Amino acid sequence: MDVLNPMTYDAEEDQLRDRTKYSQMDKHIIPVEFQQQPVSTGTTIVAVEYDGGVIIGADTRTSAGTFVMNRFTDKLTPLTDQIFCLRSGSAADTQAIAQVVTYQLDFLSAEMNEPPLVRIAANCVRRMIYQYRDDFLAGMIVAGWDKKLGGQVYSCPLGGLLVRQPVTLGGSGSTYIWGYLDNNYRPNMTKDECYDFVLKGITLAITRDGSSGGCARIAIINKDGVERIDVLGNDLPKVFDL
Amino acid sequence: MGDDILSYNGGVALAMKGKECVAIACDKRYGVQNRTIATNFTKIFQYSDHCFVAFCGLATDVQTVSERLKFRTNLYELREQRKLKPVVLYNMLTNLLYERRFGPYFVFALVVGLDPKTGETYVYDSDNVGAVSDNVNLATVGTASEYIFGLGELFFKPNMNSDELFEATSQALLNGVDRDSASGWGAVVYVIEKDKITVRELKGRQD
Repeated sequence: MDVLNPMTYDAEEDQLRDRTKYSQMDKHIIPVEFQQQPVSTGTTIVAVEYDGGVIIGADTRTSAGTFVMNRFTDKLTPLTDQIFCLRSGSAADTQAIAQVVTYQLDFLSAEMNEPPLVRIAANCVRRMIYQYRDDFLAGMIVAGWDKKLGGQVYSCPLGGLLVRQPVTLGGSGSTYIWGYLDNNYRPNMTKDECYDFVLKGITLAITRDGSSGGCARIAIINKDGVERIDVLGNDLPKVFDL
Repeated sequence: MGDDILSYNGGVALAMKGKECVAIACDKRYGVQNRTIATNFTKIFQYSDHCFVAFCGLATDVQTVSERLKFRTNLYELREQRKLKPVVLYNMLTNLLYERRFGPYFVFALVVGLDPKTGETYVYDSDNVGAVSDNVNLATVGTASEYIFGLGELFFKPNMNSDELFEATSQALLNGVDRDSASGWGAVVYVIEKDKITVRELKGRQD
C-alpha cells in the first residue's frame, strides 16, 4: 500500500465502486417514490483574501433532491490548523476527499516538521479530483494562511483545475451572486469590509437558490489562528424582500 | 430537483379543522426548480363566503384550474341564485379534474368550507384526477406534505378554538417547509369562522 498516495490502487475502493453499481439498477427495480436522490451540498461557498489572511463562508443546507437532510451543516472543513476547504457537489465525494487530504497533510507536516503550505493542500485536493474526474462530483475551494505567502485562496473546480484567485465563489448558489461580486468586490478591502461582503453574498444566494439555505457559517483565518462565526437566520443582513 | 413535474414549481398547502372553524394555509414561493422567482404566489382561492380551495403543483395548472373552477361556480350562482356550499364545490372540482382523466392537470387540491348556520366544518383532499377523500380533520398537499402531515398530526387536537387552530396550523406549516427546499418564503393562513374570516400573513425563514 502506497502511503503517500493512498488512492492509487485499493482493493476496497474497487469493491466500493462495484457495490455502487447496484445503485444503477435501483432506477429499474425500486418504485420512484422510494428512490433516494444522491445527497449533495448544492450550496453557496465564498472565499476572499485580505491583507493578513482569508475570510471564508458557506450556507448550511444539505439536500437530497428537495428534502433538506441537514439544516445546519458545517461545510467549512479543516484540513490543517490553518487551512480550510469549502465543499460543494456530492456530499460523499467531498467528505472522502477532505478525509484523505487531511491524512496526507498530517503525514507531510510530520515529515517536514512544519505546517504545510496552502498551495500544497490545494494541490492534494486538485490531484484527487483530477485523478477521479470521471467519478467524482466535487468542486472545492481551499483557503488558509501560511508563513510563506500569507492568506491565499485556491479554487479546485470539477475537472481538476487549480488556480489561485483573490476572491472566488462556488456551488449552485454562486450563479446568483457573480453579479454582486463584480459590482461590490474591490481589491485591498479591509477585514470588516470583506466580512460584510461574504455575509451579504451568502444571504443573497440563500434567498434565491433552492439548494442553499439555513444560516451562514464564516471563518476568518490569519496568523493568529481561526475565528469561527455562525450567523443565524434572524441575524442575516436584510435584503430586498421579493 | 429531478424531473418530477409536481416539484417543478414547488409549494404546499395545509387544512385543519377546529370547533365551528376551519383553517387553510399555504406557502408563498413561486420558483422554477432551484431558482426562486417570486414570494407572493399564494395558492388559496375563495369561491363563496365560506368556501376556499388551495391548489398545489404545477403553477400554470394552479392558475388555470382555479380560473376554470371560478367560471363554473360563477355560472352556478347565476343560475341557482344562491351561494355555493362546500359539498357542491368539491363535486364540481372532481368533475372538472376527471374530465381530463387521461391527460390530467398537475394539481392536487384541498377544499375547505363552513356552514355558517349550523357551524358544520368540511375539509376535503383531492388528487389530480378528482379522487376526493372523506371529510377529514387534517389534510395537506404539495412537495412538503409528508413533513407537514407529521407535525399536523402532532399539533392537532379535536375541538380547538380559532386561536389554537391558527397556532397549530401555522406551526405545522412553518416548521414543515423548513425541510423542503421547494416551498417556504412565508405563509398565508385563513381562519374561517361562522361570522368572520381572518387572514394572517406569516414571515418565516426566507430561504
